[in-house]
Amino acid sequence: MNEENFDPKQSLLLIESMINRAKDKFAEDGSMYLLWGWVVFVCSLTQFVLMHFFKYPYHYIVWFASWIIVIYQLVYIRKKIKRRRVRTYTGYILGYVWLTFVIVIFLLAFLIGRLTEGDYYIHISPILLTIYGIPIFLSGIILRFKPLVVGGIGCWILSIAAMLIDNYDYQFLLIPLAMIIAWIIPGYLLRAKYKLQSQ
Amino acid sequence: MFKDLDPILHSQLRLAVMSLLLSVKEAEFTFLKEKTNATAGNLSVQIQKLKEAGYIDVVKQFKDNYPQTICKITPEGVKAFDVYVKNLQTYLAK
Repeated sequence: MNEENFDPKQSLLLIESMINRAKDKFAEDGSMYLLWGWVVFVCSLTQFVLMHFFKYPYHYIVWFASWIIVIYQLVYIRKKIKRRRVRTYTGYILGYVWLTFVIVIFLLAFLIGRLTEGDYYIHISPILLTIYGIPIFLSGIILRFKPLVVGGIGCWILSIAAMLIDNYDYQFLLIPLAMIIAWIIPGYLLRAKYKLQSQ
Repeated sequence: MFKDLDPILHSQLRLAVMSLLLSVKEAEFTFLKEKTNATAGNLSVQIQKLKEAGYIDVVKQFKDNYPQTICKITPEGVKAFDVYVKNLQTYLAK
């Protein structure tokens, strides 16, 4: 770069081009949305089948499979951090949005039984749907990615819809449906956008 | 010619580094090198100057036994950049 003789106009152009260059990589490839979208989809659907058709009392056992995915996710995040050469504000804020979500879900898992005096299944679907909508909606706003915003709002609409379904087993089916509209579809769209950009 | 312009910032490579760091939370030396197309030698000299002016923070650490330099803009750096851009605008308005 030439150090001498550069006028204010060139300065402004340089600033603009550098700011654009710092931002030119769309950081999200959608893999996390797809992974968890499919895991929750399969687990919740399996749980529904065990609960509704087999009347299996320990139907929630399918969720133990998600612990394996948690371990995989931790390894994946560690690898990603190692490869990272730049930390954007977007990535930084998104990280905390998802951390908040994980904390809320864990707190809920411990608290819901006591709060509802054991009748957690009456409330669980609308509460989960409301909470699922939060990180999805915020991610959509932060990444400026409309399908996620729509997905987040979709979760909230489903949480209201859950109130209209009297059978709690069928209410539970809204969870895999939410996974499709809020995580899986936006996940594939994110991946397509990421691939298009890295070409 | 451009007397009011901060001499620390009115240099192509230093201004490029500052603009990049303004847009992100923090960046590695290799990222800055790639985006500015500068040589490692020149870049590290300019980074040192920005550091001495208090415009950026530089942290040197080891990651998997490789040295790693992380740069981050300081509040003074943001302020200086803001003043610089305002001065540029008055020049352009003339």
